[in-house]
Amino acid sequence: MEDIRVAVVERSTAALDVAAALEFVSDPRFGGIAVFVGKVRNHNVGRQVTGISYDLFEPLALRMFRAIGERARAEVGAPLKLYIAHAKGKLQLDDLAVVVAAGTPHRDEAFRACRLAIEAVKHEAPIWKQEHYVDGDSAWSEGCSLCEEDRHAGADHGRQAGHGHGH
Amino acid sequence: MKVRIALYGALREADPRGYLELDVPPGSTIAQLRELLAAHVREHAPAVNAGLVRISAFANAEEILHGHRDVPEGQELAVLPPVSGG
Repeated sequence: MEDIRVAVVERSTAALDVAAALEFVSDPRFGGIAVFVGKVRNHNVGRQVTGISYDLFEPLALRMFRAIGERARAEVGAPLKLYIAHAKGKLQLDDLAVVVAAGTPHRDEAFRACRLAIEAVKHEAPIWKQEHYVDGDSAWSEGCSLCEEDRHAGADHGRQAGHGHGH
Repeated sequence: MKVRIALYGALREADPRGYLELDVPPGSTIAQLRELLAAHVREHAPAVNAGLVRISAFANAEEILHGHRDVPEGQELAVLPPVSGG
């Protein structure tokens, strides 16, 4: 039985669907469901944002989403259904960028699985965000290096110079 | 040998085709490929920050290829700048 579902959804084709995520992780065994929804907001670092474009290396992203799901299952140590979907292409304000849902017997496991999954997606998956600003300018967001050498240099990832984890 | 490298994120701007082809000496490692790519970007795409290549990873469709790995033959690779999903 499939209990991890992953997707990359081109925005021009469809919007992400929270109801579909909830339906997938629902199960008679589960009394707890945690959902994280990431949306496009109207500002970043003091600049007014009008939209975002997401670029993804899709085959590896999907493979990583599955691996993240397996990691969450091992970490939580309980029956789990997990849904991870990320948008691709050009998004407007208020559009959904990412949806993660976790269903488990109890709430603590659901919160932990959901949190682990969204943090891993943000810090490890091959996805790039380009912000578009009200003045017509655009910029690729600074992100987390996947480069082994770089990660080892900053073993306490998140405290690297200039790399806060408010993103 | 010729290696095709698909470009993502800010490095897409290094070539409008969305990929680059580099001549790589046989037996090269991923770390050496990174140096070749940084040099190529400095020379052919001065508008792109070549320093970005230094903190970029390489991958095929299955996995991240770390610096000590040999450059695989006959596979398209991807160069992955620091990621910013979610």
